Amino acid sequence: MMTITETPNYETYLQEWGREKALDLLRKMLLIRSFEEKAEELYALGRVHGTMHLSIGQEASAVGASLPLRPTDYLLNHHRGHGHCLAWWGSNVDLMMAEFLGKETGYCRGRGGSMHIANVESNNLGANGIVGGGIPIAAGVGLSIKLRKTDQVALVVFGDGATNEGAFHESLNMASIWDLPVIYYIENNQYAMSMPTKKAFNIERLSQRACAYGIPGVSVDGNDLFSVYETVQEAAERARAGQGPTLIEALTYRWRGHSKSDRQAYRTREEVKAWQKKDPIKRFAQKLGLDEATLAALQQEARERIEQAVAFAEASPEPDVSTIMEGVYA
Amino acid sequence: MAKPVIMPKFGFTQETSVIVRWLAQPGQTVEQGDPIAEVSTDKVDMEVEAPASGILDGVRFQEGDEVPVTAIIAYIRQPDETLPPETLAAEEQPVAKATPPPPRPVFTPAGGVSPTRATPVAARVAADLGVDIAQVSGSGPGGRITRKDVETYAAQARPAAPSSPPPVSSSGKVRAAPAARRLARELGVDLSRVQGTGPRGRVQSVDVRAAAATPAPSPLPGVREVIPLTGMRKTIAQRMQASAQQAPHITFDADVDVSALEALRRRANAALPEGHPHVSLTALIAKACAWALQRHPRMNARLEDDSILLLADINIGIAVALDEGLIVPVVHDVNHKGVLEIAADIAAVVERARSGKLRGEDLQGGVFTISNLGMFRVDRFTAIINPPETGILAVGRVRKRFVPDENDQPVLRPMMTITLSADHRVVDGAIAARFLDDIRTALEHPDAMIL
Amino acid sequence: MRELTYAEALREALHQVMQEDASVFMIGEDIGVYGGAFGVSAGLIDEFGPERIIDTPISEAAITGACIGAALTGMRPVGEIQFMDFITLSMEQLVLQAAKIRFMFGGKAKVPFVLRTPAGSGTGAAAQHSESLENWFVHAPGLKVVMPSTPYDAKGLLRAAIYDDNPVIFVEHKLLYKTKGPVPAEPYKIPLGQSKVVREGSDLTIVATSIMVKRSLEAAEILAEEGIQVEIIDPRTLKPLDMAPIEASVQKTGRALVVHEAVKTGGFGGEVVARIVESEAFDYLEAPVRRLAGLDIPIPYNRTLEYHAVPQVETIVEEARKLVQGGY
Repeated sequence: MMTITETPNYETYLQEWGREKALDLLRKMLLIRSFEEKAEELYALGRVHGTMHLSIGQEASAVGASLPLRPTDYLLNHHRGHGHCLAWWGSNVDLMMAEFLGKETGYCRGRGGSMHIANVESNNLGANGIVGGGIPIAAGVGLSIKLRKTDQVALVVFGDGATNEGAFHESLNMASIWDLPVIYYIENNQYAMSMPTKKAFNIERLSQRACAYGIPGVSVDGNDLFSVYETVQEAAERARAGQGPTLIEALTYRWRGHSKSDRQAYRTREEVKAWQKKDPIKRFAQKLGLDEATLAALQQEARERIEQAVAFAEASPEPDVSTIMEGVYA
Repeated sequence: MAKPVIMPKFGFTQETSVIVRWLAQPGQTVEQGDPIAEVSTDKVDMEVEAPASGILDGVRFQEGDEVPVTAIIAYIRQPDETLPPETLAAEEQPVAKATPPPPRPVFTPAGGVSPTRATPVAARVAADLGVDIAQVSGSGPGGRITRKDVETYAAQARPAAPSSPPPVSSSGKVRAAPAARRLARELGVDLSRVQGTGPRGRVQSVDVRAAAATPAPSPLPGVREVIPLTGMRKTIAQRMQASAQQAPHITFDADVDVSALEALRRRANAALPEGHPHVSLTALIAKACAWALQRHPRMNARLEDDSILLLADINIGIAVALDEGLIVPVVHDVNHKGVLEIAADIAAVVERARSGKLRGEDLQGGVFTISNLGMFRVDRFTAIINPPETGILAVGRVRKRFVPDENDQPVLRPMMTITLSADHRVVDGAIAARFLDDIRTALEHPDAMIL
Repeated sequence: MRELTYAEALREALHQVMQEDASVFMIGEDIGVYGGAFGVSAGLIDEFGPERIIDTPISEAAITGACIGAALTGMRPVGEIQFMDFITLSMEQLVLQAAKIRFMFGGKAKVPFVLRTPAGSGTGAAAQHSESLENWFVHAPGLKVVMPSTPYDAKGLLRAAIYDDNPVIFVEHKLLYKTKGPVPAEPYKIPLGQSKVVREGSDLTIVATSIMVKRSLEAAEILAEEGIQVEIIDPRTLKPLDMAPIEASVQKTGRALVVHEAVKTGGFGGEVVARIVESEAFDYLEAPVRRLAGLDIPIPYNRTLEYHAVPQVETIVEEARKLVQGGY
């Protein structure tokens, strides 16, 4: 099945959930945006080691995807995953920033960095530096859930490029034959690194690939928070009911290049600008009926929280070199 | 119970001794301390003393027999005692009849310092560089001497201490297995002189052992064997030469009547606590020297650059002859110790020297040395000062001699000649003579030390 | 004591562990009703059912990923890669995920699973079904590598590997499955990281792995006739490697030979030689430390060529003799 869902009615949500809860979602998106912008800034100031893969422009997808899930569910993430990490249960932006800056107080004691941030306690089983690397692992998590007979689900987030890795095929096939409770979530931002999806696929929608495994496939507007929410929720219900995996394609766009060393020679400024006009945050704020001033105030709040996180991270110690051999073996 | 007389071990690699001559006969009554047999190790002849007074009996070996060390060679029994039953059957076989013991490899420990005071690598490097490790201060944990300490010391101590040059063959290096190299270092064998039987002429351990066992044939006419000057021997050579060259030695003899001393010794040994080592003459001499040193501070001194340093403590070195060479372990603070304690200290430190377990402090801090060669039946001799000390006392053997008494009648007295060597840069004859005279006084009238 | 085959010993270990611990399950190709390509899991599905003896499609990456995911979430999987050759299709998951997750997550996660795999040549299976790739995984920090050489060791080491909290590559030589040996009936563990002196001797130290232990023992009997007493040490665990008995042995004998089936260049033998030479045992060497290992070729199909591609009893005898008699 490959349908593009209709945009849900925001009024209904506001009524059911209340304004405050909706504002919280906006706050979350703003926090993600501020985190990413701050990351960019720190990099430009030479204070970050390595590179980063920013998800500016994909905030609705991040917040919407984890929204219907529970703290007992699992998240497997990818290299462009700061947003998903922040959106997940129990996330602490101080510890994320500290990990980002390679500090001992970071989620991974400074050993993982941007691409490997994990919060195993909260069932965030980590971002992955290998394209498609988490996809087979997700099937394993699904298998474990099934063997333990719980009603947990595993959400694995990856990009359009990952769906061309062989492991994608193996994992979906395995999940499909055993009805594993896995939600395969493609964040299709139209480009792998520099390869546009148009050139990498012979199909229109990536969710079409679901039919190869006999599982449901859905394409959705990844920049609409509640669209994403509803789609993932439906997939989660199916999974919990023992009906197996779902393939979701969330269509979105990244405003920045693949990584910091990307000149973006593969797309035009016009294209980027066009997408920026469709900013998911502004869109959500509009749907909530917020005015410019309120939005600005919330933005400021988010920026200040990020400043706090940076202060925490910068005040944190570097890992002690004498501990360099730790954490290899259990 | 009859007391066994055992064949003593005189050097720490010694395994057997040959009985050269019995000095007492079975059935003869002997005094404790009397020499009852002369035995030979591969280097020197030593005397075996009676461990108790009584009748020598149960002699188990004959002259010419090679006996393993610590084996029982005879018994001293009291008139009313019998010998232990197993001696009545002549069972213990001598190792070999009148064949000389096989030559043993020359072992050159770096001053016999145990691994706890110096790392094995440091000991090895010290041997290679000809450094007296006893002189090196350690910077490792607990004052342990490390390789770096040795190298630093060697670099600044004396320019005349070159590292032993690596054996050089025509290609510049010797082809030898790592095991062979290690063994050659340990045994003091010059690798370049070893015939290798390994592939491509490689020297293997077995070749090194063979070379160590057989004297190296020498190309020099009239020369039977060439022994490289390395390790301990080299160190001794250098220090003795330096001492002889730099310190103008003045020597003084004194013939000492040791009757009172011997009587004191017997009394001390008769009243020993259980297990306490015997009081030797050397212990008493050390006490006397300590007393005299207190009275003559100039003798307890050291010349350094342009100053004479008068030293605070009185630590006396006792020269000990090991198979490998001369070593001088030190007894500390002799002036504050009683004779029994001195005797115990001497016994302990000599035992450590003989068993290769000397500690760093055992070789440090000496201000005066006593060298007693009486056991070799030397009547008198002159010793070379142990640098940087100011004096050394050479002790000869005790002999009964006729001397005039107060009425000018000849009487037989046990006499011992002691010879003081002193460094004329630090002291003049008068001081040295007075010092020696005080030693004599203390030896002849021990109560002078407490009055 | 009764004797079991190597395969039976493995099966018994699996059986006993799975009975006592519900978090342990097996996953691999053809391990269910087929009983595994070499019969190791024969009959287990009857006792434990398809839920715990899980047959998979031909998807090595997914099998490995499944082990990782399950291990991350409280299970202790025992995966099987049907031929070690195919582990190449799992490389990313093993080397970049399983080996590194714990470290990358600051020591806050663990990935406890065992990946069993038949390896080695001698069955005419040719180049793509005869590999010995253990050293690739020795080279990945975070993995452990075990190679049992006897039924007794196999049973004890498998139990220890399953209960180890790290990913363990468990390499079984195909030609060993039918070999027999005494195996206690009760469950027991042999600690990982413990070498074993399999035979004592004073003239030469042989360090041998997997099937080369058996061949070295046979060679030792022949050499004993010639008065050469060989000491044989089986590391059993390649990573972490217990060098102490090896160093002590080389110090005693002064000569060392490492024997393994895998290709010599870049093989595990190089690691052992380096460690011997780096240790104090160096000072006791009478001869160079040598390796006897697979030729630098893919395993040939032809029976004779296949035979000569790897060390055999007679080549071990020849090499040992040469080492002891000053041939090097």
